[in-house]
Amino acid sequence: MKEDFILLTGRSNPKLAREIAKLLKKEVHEPISIFSDGEIRVRIPANMRNTHVFIIQPTAPLVNDSIMELLFMIDAAKRSSASNISAIIPYFGYSRQDRKEMPRVPISSSVIANMISNSGATQILTVDIHSQQQQGFVHIPWDNLYGSYALIPEIKSQKIDNLIVASPDKGGLIQATGYAKLLGAQGVALVFKERDVELNNKSEVLDMIGDVKGKNVLIVDDILDTGGTIMNAAIFLKSQGAKSVRLALTHGLFSGNALDKIKDSAVDKIFITDSINQKPEVLKNKKIRIVSISQLLAKAIERILSGESMSKDLIL
Amino acid sequence: MKIFSGSSNKPLSEKIAKHLGLKLSTIELHVFPDGERRIKLNDTVVDENTVVIQPTATPVDQNYIELFFIIDALRRSGARSVCVVVPYLGYQRQDHIFRDGESVSLQVMIKLLESMHIDKIIAVDLHSIKIPEFFHIPLVHLSALSIFSDTIKSLFSGFVNDSVLVSPDMGGLRRISEASELLSGLPWISTVKDRDLDTGKIVINKIEGDPSKIKKRAFIIDDMISSGGTTIQSAELLRRNGVEEIYVFVTHAIFSEDAPAQLQKSIINKVFVTDSVFIPKEKHFEKLEILSIAQMVSEKL
Repeated sequence: MKEDFILLTGRSNPKLAREIAKLLKKEVHEPISIFSDGEIRVRIPANMRNTHVFIIQPTAPLVNDSIMELLFMIDAAKRSSASNISAIIPYFGYSRQDRKEMPRVPISSSVIANMISNSGATQILTVDIHSQQQQGFVHIPWDNLYGSYALIPEIKSQKIDNLIVASPDKGGLIQATGYAKLLGAQGVALVFKERDVELNNKSEVLDMIGDVKGKNVLIVDDILDTGGTIMNAAIFLKSQGAKSVRLALTHGLFSGNALDKIKDSAVDKIFITDSINQKPEVLKNKKIRIVSISQLLAKAIERILSGESMSKDLIL
Repeated sequence: MKIFSGSSNKPLSEKIAKHLGLKLSTIELHVFPDGERRIKLNDTVVDENTVVIQPTATPVDQNYIELFFIIDALRRSGARSVCVVVPYLGYQRQDHIFRDGESVSLQVMIKLLESMHIDKIIAVDLHSIKIPEFFHIPLVHLSALSIFSDTIKSLFSGFVNDSVLVSPDMGGLRRISEASELLSGLPWISTVKDRDLDTGKIVINKIEGDPSKIKKRAFIIDDMISSGGTTIQSAELLRRNGVEEIYVFVTHAIFSEDAPAQLQKSIINKVFVTDSVFIPKEKHFEKLEILSIAQMVSEKL
């Protein structure tokens, strides 16, 4: 019998895909294998004719391979006459290269978005894309959901009093005010820096707006990479009198020596989603609490299939 | 004209630029701790004809994405034209659907290159004769066969009567007959390769062609060596049929797994390859000889 929809996933986060599949009472196909020279091979055994295909593949490290796996799964689905191909990309790699911040550089995120669209995806779905303007890179529907759907209930359950929500940079202020509202926080603080635009991650001289003296602070941001920016903000907030500092982040890359920085830092707790598949050291870390977005994505898939509004109750 | 090189084969790019009497324009490449790459062109390109050289061999995905970023930067920075030199085009063995439910990965890559509005593409020894048909933009398809035939003529002149050209599999018949033409009709045969699509294992134990053509010396010609299995099995079959000296001429030295070690300890006398793909020092071996395609490419720029 023909399936009503089909789930596929690559190698970047099969665990999340399997959890989504479980919620949808479906099987998820894992069609990727690798040739000896490193070339990716896709073969999807299911009949996809006239079927809506959902490909769950965050383009997380190894980022370039994850992107190619996604493209080839899209191509295979298209050639097998799938009716719709939704690329579910909880974490969108290269999304921080979203503008021409100096001369003679590419807009890498635009290149990737166009690759996905040109390969035949009919829809893109992301979670907390680094900047929402990126939805305009392509001419197919691009829904963006928020990790707060999963993170807010978890943070609420901690019953943190005297709460101030802080953004570690200017770009995160909108997200911070959103969290403050949803958590009923006493206010918002903004830590800001002058980031240089050289080809690296170097920062920063810090300053802030707001009052955190004697407060419990929750720093919110979209991505934790090496943790440099966020840890510096945490140290700075402590120096400004914050009683405790917690973090809420959607995407945890934990690159470089991020885990060492976290261990040595004054941060009490880190709330993060499972948009990116985590290595055992992260899963074991007692400071890190991982909250699943599988339910959010399973509901989103149901709504895409049923034609219900995405924004109702799903976008907090 | 300004020439840029991706990071996959800088030595070849430098040679090509030198043939043209030009200096490579440099690209700053930064790799972030999470593996994302960021590039910046260090030269202005407004109204310039530009060339970017980047074979997309292993690591194939990284090399393709870096190439796409370079093209995007050239386009956004006002280049008049962009010519892409991809001496080895990655994913070219996935040029059709072998079994239901597969992707045609090569076509995805070509479509993406074309969607980036490049003006011309230069490739060398594409895997099948159908591949050029995939392109909707001007493709210059070069072949290393002339380099190989010149090498054979200069190294083995006077001995060609004792020699036969060999294609290791039936897919290379066109290539081997072209090589024969370049060598004044030197006879050729083919060994026959069977591949099990499930296990990927190959077996070569049959020769196609007139057995009387088998001579003392064989020149195996092919487009690429990956694990080396095909080439070595073909050579062993030739030896069992009485061939004494075996020389291999292959354009693309992919050298996956332990190919260099296997080739070195094989019965093959010498392995000639080109510099279409960068071969790191640790993959060099005594029997290996690298011929350059730089001049041939530079003549098309």
